[in-house]
Amino acid sequence: MKNPYLPLPVKLVKNFTETEDKLIHTFTLQFLSEEDEKSFPYMPGQFAELCVFGKGEAPFGIASSPTEPGFLKFSVAKVGVVSTALHLMEEGTMVGVRGPLGNYYPVEEFKGKNVVIIGGGFAFTTLRSLATYMLHPDRRGDYGDITVIYGARNPGLLLYKEELAAWEQSPDINLITTIDRPVEGWNGRVGFIPAVTEEVAPSAENTYAIICGPPVMIKFTMPVLEKLGFPAERIIMSLENRMKCGIGMCGRCNVGGKYVCKDGPVFTRAQLNELPNEY
Amino acid sequence: MQKLADQIKDAAKKLLAEQKVDLVIGFAEGSLPLRGTPLFARTPEEADKLTWNLGCENNLANYLRKREGKVAVVAKGCDVRSIVALIKENQINRDNLYIIGVPCSGMIDRKKVNAILGGKELLEIEVNGDTATLKGNNCSETAKVADLLHNSCKDCRYGNPVIYDELVGELLPEKETDDFAEIKKFESKTTAQRRAFMNSEFSKCIRCYACRNACPVCYCEECFVDCNQPEWIGKSALNTEDNILFQVVRVFHSAGRCTDCGACERACPMGINLRLLTRKLVKDVKELYNAEAGVNMDDKAALATFTADDPEPFLVKE
Amino acid sequence: MIVSKNDIPSFLDKLIGEYQVFAPVQEGSYTLFKQICSGADAALTDGNTKLPAKEIIFPQSEKLFSYNVTAEGAKLESIIDDRKKVVFGVRPCDAKSLTLLDNVFNNDKYQDPYYLTRRANTILVGIGCNSPASTCFCTSVKGGPFDTKGLDLLLVDIGDAYVVEVVTEKGKTLIDNAGFASASEADKAAAAKAKDEAQVTCQVNTDGLKEKLDVNFYDPIWEKIHEKCLGCGACTYLCPTCHCFDIVDDAVDCNGCRVRNWDSCAFPLFTLHGSGHNPRTSNKERYRNRIMHKFKYFVDNFGEIACVGCGRCIKNCPVNMDIRVVLEDVRGSEARLDS
Repeated sequence: MKNPYLPLPVKLVKNFTETEDKLIHTFTLQFLSEEDEKSFPYMPGQFAELCVFGKGEAPFGIASSPTEPGFLKFSVAKVGVVSTALHLMEEGTMVGVRGPLGNYYPVEEFKGKNVVIIGGGFAFTTLRSLATYMLHPDRRGDYGDITVIYGARNPGLLLYKEELAAWEQSPDINLITTIDRPVEGWNGRVGFIPAVTEEVAPSAENTYAIICGPPVMIKFTMPVLEKLGFPAERIIMSLENRMKCGIGMCGRCNVGGKYVCKDGPVFTRAQLNELPNEY
Repeated sequence: MQKLADQIKDAAKKLLAEQKVDLVIGFAEGSLPLRGTPLFARTPEEADKLTWNLGCENNLANYLRKREGKVAVVAKGCDVRSIVALIKENQINRDNLYIIGVPCSGMIDRKKVNAILGGKELLEIEVNGDTATLKGNNCSETAKVADLLHNSCKDCRYGNPVIYDELVGELLPEKETDDFAEIKKFESKTTAQRRAFMNSEFSKCIRCYACRNACPVCYCEECFVDCNQPEWIGKSALNTEDNILFQVVRVFHSAGRCTDCGACERACPMGINLRLLTRKLVKDVKELYNAEAGVNMDDKAALATFTADDPEPFLVKE
Repeated sequence: MIVSKNDIPSFLDKLIGEYQVFAPVQEGSYTLFKQICSGADAALTDGNTKLPAKEIIFPQSEKLFSYNVTAEGAKLESIIDDRKKVVFGVRPCDAKSLTLLDNVFNNDKYQDPYYLTRRANTILVGIGCNSPASTCFCTSVKGGPFDTKGLDLLLVDIGDAYVVEVVTEKGKTLIDNAGFASASEADKAAAAKAKDEAQVTCQVNTDGLKEKLDVNFYDPIWEKIHEKCLGCGACTYLCPTCHCFDIVDDAVDCNGCRVRNWDSCAFPLFTLHGSGHNPRTSNKERYRNRIMHKFKYFVDNFGEIACVGCGRCIKNCPVNMDIRVVLEDVRGSEARLDS
């Protein structure tokens, strides 16, 4: 019997301060062997438990894409015991990763369709994985237009700046970034995600919307998507309830009878409409 | 008892009918023999369920912190002491609270009943004056009510509410001073004996925190046992040391605030002797500062005040 | 087969050589399942143990694995308990609870090796309940005082002896060489009589309960139901079907163990996010979750109610939150079934 509680030892090779406020770090983890890497086949939208030996483990969405072999990437906000320990960790330290866990974005369903990815703040991690996955030359042809709408309070809080710059230049993707208030030197858009979405979102016809962000952003963007004509079956969300086991046993991440860890974290709006609002 | 119950009902109905309060918190008949259960009545009809019996053991002060609106509470002596302590801690607004005081000569301890019935289930209890008839499946025993009372009730000298807006029933005669006999006995043991006793008692703890949640003065937004940054204490119930630490810190935190109502011990499903620790601190506070929590509205909480001549036997002097 | 009560201690003594034997042991005013070193320690009294038998298979606290981490790698070692066990004197309700928990620890995607290994290596010897307590309502939740679900052997108390009923092959192997005599027709009749006479007097009506819970999540009744609940974990820790747990590290620097401890959905921190957001903000949401989990979510997921009617939560709640009353209130709530 495979023991789903055992983490896979990996080496933390990069501890990168992602945002200006220093509260988000991006960690690059390297597998110790090819065999280990093979034992961790994942898809965009899945998460894993990161384990700091001596401190515990906590769940985080995987920010890297399976099209980027050799390493895993996680962008982590400093909020609890494990994330704080990670932030302070020296490069070269041994940590653990347990997973991949949960379901993933329905990339098969997206084939032949347009996709609009809407992200706010540091909830952009698994969305990065998704965009990177679909943009891979072997796969880009499977999808129609790819639009990314990404907002943060200010430019310094946007994640993955280098990639955003590359996407800006790419004909394969239409990137719209926005910040809450005008800042000197910012040439992009200014405004909140719901308003920007209303303005720039592609036609809902033949299009999936994938949305991740703080609750308030979700709350105000949802009516916009409905107004634009996105049916609940084509609005995809990722939940992040508190989790421990990640395998549907410890009981804390349930929304109604569904466990976010095992049955999610990816749900369609239509699925969530059938569940209580405990997320 | 029936008369008291009727008087409580009448008082509550009147308060609700006249809209003097929005809510009356009292006791209804519970689902087990000898069991009162907290009732929240918002209409005179709901207040019809109010009752009074020897199983109204919960400390209702626990439900009064930070309440909106005008609330009336049916309160025994110990409930009122906790209310007084909580008013002083700004947890209860006296202006919005109406106290229906009930003099109380003690509540029956179901553990003692079970012991008399030899572990058989109590199915019915009849109280006639000072005698109780306990009926189980194919068995019946009689006992003096006084022998069945909770230890906290036996030790209690404040059966009469120290403040109230309305009194139901007759005030009881004053009781003798508390002699803390069992605490003195415990103090006279050697450190090793005390340690052994604590270990055996707290190895039973399952860390369900019923004691903490039943305690009217345990209301920290985040209890130190739950805190994980830093993690002050291990979360596993297997570690008796941690179980003891939990109780010791809890007891120290309620020193000078604890009214010795015994709610913690009554709530414990594992039957741990929790009052041994709480009463030890009650005794210490009384001896050191001549103070008792919640016995009048004037005294300041013993450990929240300072005078230059406070005894400081705990200071180590070179 | 039949075994005299006088022979039980020596039977257990024989088992102790080969198995870890657990049986109810008197602890002050109640009994608890403990591993026994001598058959004489078993206290086969009336009624339920204070804590359910689930703790033998799913302990309140257990080490999952140990680790030793260096710059080169991490050495991890699972700590799986595969010792052979016999649980003697388990009540049918407690045995049934394990069949419910099997769904959780062996779900559609994952297997819990700790639970499942113990479960596979444990033989459950039940004793039927001749005199169920007034708080027992097993027959209302598809159990019964002599129900054999989850058991390997069932013992029926006929006074000074037990009539032994073999439920599984595993159970049979346990008594193959025990030298028990065959039960006479009179013994069998006595066992049948004991079963007949055992009355579960308490009935909880679950008709329409699930249908009501399907639609009354937002019903105002929950405001009233939870009101007196203190939010402690007594009911969850004493419940044979509650299975929530927490995982923590017990370590010095990088060397130590990962441990799991029972946790409770009654506690506010159970669902608190790192961000401070809490999906179940108040006691109302938490208490509702407990009822929903047992009587709706579990039914939706596994087709069975996650309550075995043992009555422990009723007897031990500090404020007499009685689940029977709660369920009656839920059934009487005004939520419209057609809405």
